[in-house]
Amino acid sequence: MVDFEKLRKKSIELAKKTIRESISEDNFIINSINNIDELTKVANVLTKRLRDWYSLYLPEFSKKISDNEAFVKLIVSRKRKELMQEMNIKESMGTELSAKDLKPIMEIALRINSLYKLKENLKEYLEQVMNSYCKNLSTITGALLGAKLLEQAGSLKKLAMMPSSTVQLLGAEKALFRHLKTGARPPKHGTILQHPLVSSAKKTNRGRYSRVLADKITIAVKTDYFKGKFIGDKLKTELEERLK
Amino acid sequence: MILLDKKFPNIFKDKKNIYTKSLDKKTYFEERTKREGKNVYREWDPKRSKLAAGLIKGISQIGFKEGSIVLYLGASHGYTVSFVSDIIGKNGFIFAIDIAPQVTRDLVRLAEERNNIAPILANCNHPEEYKDTVSKSDIVYQDIAQKNQVQIFLKNCDAYLNSGGFGLLALKARSMDVTKKPKDLFKQVMKELEEKISVVDYRVLDPYEKDHALFIVKKK
Repeated sequence: MVDFEKLRKKSIELAKKTIRESISEDNFIINSINNIDELTKVANVLTKRLRDWYSLYLPEFSKKISDNEAFVKLIVSRKRKELMQEMNIKESMGTELSAKDLKPIMEIALRINSLYKLKENLKEYLEQVMNSYCKNLSTITGALLGAKLLEQAGSLKKLAMMPSSTVQLLGAEKALFRHLKTGARPPKHGTILQHPLVSSAKKTNRGRYSRVLADKITIAVKTDYFKGKFIGDKLKTELEERLK
Repeated sequence: MILLDKKFPNIFKDKKNIYTKSLDKKTYFEERTKREGKNVYREWDPKRSKLAAGLIKGISQIGFKEGSIVLYLGASHGYTVSFVSDIIGKNGFIFAIDIAPQVTRDLVRLAEERNNIAPILANCNHPEEYKDTVSKSDIVYQDIAQKNQVQIFLKNCDAYLNSGGFGLLALKARSMDVTKKPKDLFKQVMKELEEKISVVDYRVLDPYEKDHALFIVKKK
């Protein structure tokens, strides 16, 4: 007869130990990239609202600067008159606001600015972790895109076991299954499209470029996972030469 | 509150929902409860549990009895596990296996409260991995959305199911092959199962789970 109570206690202990040991750089990378994505979303939504509100004060300025981060930074650091001078705005449709009415706007702008700062810090941290954990991958793709691929695969091990054609289509699952189910045109690239080499290419070349890039990424990840030498720079020059 | 069926112990129903009689009068997943005298009944949501969906669709046999020993593959957070633990009672035992560390954290918390659950973090693809922590069982229940889920099920039934024991397989057609129609896939799976083991009954779980089916098999 099996002693179930003893078995249960043992397996709880064992499960706790395995869970503890399963925590690795993978988890840090995946959590930080998820947080960076979320911060980007939140900051964009809040900045949209801020633009609305600030337009009561100085509508012309909002039109002139389309980049959200720069917009918030300028509002926080400069006053209305300085902005008008810098941007060459002679007459404004907005009204002068009293200090009491201006205060909440500035407060929100300050908070959003600190969100952007937080994002920068997270990016720096992510770069550090990626460089020590999978240097070849982050050399080829950059820390952000590399982390995103890792997040979609689940872990470095899973990414290393993938064939290059799967890496090429990571993030394009919906289009891929639509193709398999209904015979629609197959997707050419997934998340990989964010790589500057692919996104700056001509539309007709993108499929070819992303295939070549996925090749190099798979080689790099496999070297990273099996603790090989640093060959990232070599792969990168090869890649750039081929895609000239 | 009346019994759902004489065949199924500890499962009750009222006009709308099905319930199990709670072992320790606590709730674990923010489910609704009903009190009747001393007993506490926990509401079992068929949209979250494929076993509950199968029961509501009128499956003829599930095999669970008081005191059964269950091997549960793909336990996840432990929602269905907690209800199975109610059904088999204090003398039964569940080996709950899952592969992902994140969800097993919740499972461990549940197992610490309930005396009849043992959480195991392992890969069901390799039954020999957990042969030291699992005993022969009366029932094998599997809910894994993998491409080779039928093979995993048969492997585990081979290794751990007593003869005369029941196996329950919650099948997700979409993770086997997206291009085939679920109906054809169910037929194909039926054939595959019949080769090694006898199929007692099966139910398609619409509308609670899309493109899912629950198979009940019996080992000779």
